[in-house]
Amino acid sequence: MDDYLIGVLSNIGVISFVALSAYLLLLTGEISFGQQGFFAIGAYAAGIATALWGWSLTTALVWGAAVSGSAALLVGVPTLRLHGLYFAIATLAFAEMVRILFELFRYQISIDGELIGPNGTDGFRNIRYIFDHNIDAFQFLLLIYSLLAATMLAFMLLERSRLGVIFRMIGQDETLAELQGIPVARYRVLAAGIAGMLAGIGGGLYAHLTTYVEPRIFDIMLGVHSLAYGLIGGLGTALGPLLGVLIDIGLLESIRALAGYRMIIFGGLVAMLLIVRPRGLLDEVVVHKIGRGWRRVALWVRRSGLKPRANNARATGGPP
Amino acid sequence: MRSVAHAMTTLAMLALCGLEAAHAQVRAKAEVSCRPAEKLQYDCIIKLANSRTSEPLSGLTLMVGADMPSMPAAHNVRPVKATEEQDKGTYRARIALEMYGDWALRLELSGAVRDRVVKLLRFESDRVGEATPTQAPGRHRH
Repeated sequence: MDDYLIGVLSNIGVISFVALSAYLLLLTGEISFGQQGFFAIGAYAAGIATALWGWSLTTALVWGAAVSGSAALLVGVPTLRLHGLYFAIATLAFAEMVRILFELFRYQISIDGELIGPNGTDGFRNIRYIFDHNIDAFQFLLLIYSLLAATMLAFMLLERSRLGVIFRMIGQDETLAELQGIPVARYRVLAAGIAGMLAGIGGGLYAHLTTYVEPRIFDIMLGVHSLAYGLIGGLGTALGPLLGVLIDIGLLESIRALAGYRMIIFGGLVAMLLIVRPRGLLDEVVVHKIGRGWRRVALWVRRSGLKPRANNARATGGPP
Repeated sequence: MRSVAHAMTTLAMLALCGLEAAHAQVRAKAEVSCRPAEKLQYDCIIKLANSRTSEPLSGLTLMVGADMPSMPAAHNVRPVKATEEQDKGTYRARIALEMYGDWALRLELSGAVRDRVVKLLRFESDRVGEATPTQAPGRHRH
């Protein structure tokens, strides 16, 4: 496979994690402009773990997810009372705070005569795990998509579970959910924690994919995009944000003739979809229709598959 | 569905475990100087050396790509192959960017040495200089 294609697919995979993270909060009815903050925490934590402490990639990714998940829980508690615009501003403020903290954060260790580690605004270079361990770009791509597939399956299980129903119920009508006896605050903090962990995994993968991170990467642009992916792709299913990422990085990447105008097209697309399809391309109605169509096809296949068996049974003199 | 989820989780874990064996690698360092050629096109001279011994690294395949740190994954330039000059460890490449501004130049080395070096540069219409990272609070000049 072409290295450039591997690079684009890897980007799609990694950014999907932060898109899914924002999507999970959208399910609970909260708009977060701050998921890039947890992405940054995951990236720095996992990068420090492998590059400075010599940890394995697995442990580093788990560590990155744990740190960003814990940070999300810490942010989730004080923002419990906030909703809508206030919550969005609070999350944005947190993400900017994280970015500025990383601009001040210096933690370097001399490894083989070379200073390695986060160095404020100069960023954190030499996260060389994939090179030190001879992992090629395709192997890392497989790793990203294995983790993404596992995450998607977890989302599918979540959406069929009681927890998923509760998240959607809180998103639809928080007061009604509370009247049903659901501890809304507890579930909102839980959603924030899981979303933070997801963004942290994405950040850890991103740091090892690019081998270089700096605070500028984690600015508002990434936060707006991660939110927009869910709004473009749709809120009816976890495949929605992935579709959004695919449209932005996949489709717009392929029409390079438009070069610098891609951001304008992306912005226009978001604005148009918010008017025409406020809950995205794969909204609940479309997902329901696809599900119903799928069930019909499955039923038809099952029925048409049974007929020959019945005919065979008659031909052999068995019961009809 | 649950068994599929378990299988995928196991696959992800196996993929992670399979990536743990360590190998010692030569680390590269690079000096990059670029100058404008045509509109949004830049000629870059790249000098590669072993970061420990400072010996020039020649005979490698060098791909030069770029992405914008302020827009992760949004603008990444298709990598171009650099050609080696007569001077040992010196390579030349022409890169075409999408816009002016700070770019992270990605130097992908393959062959006898596999490594990646990232250089931050500011590309303008008439010159190329050091990138200007955002100033940390308290470090602003008045």
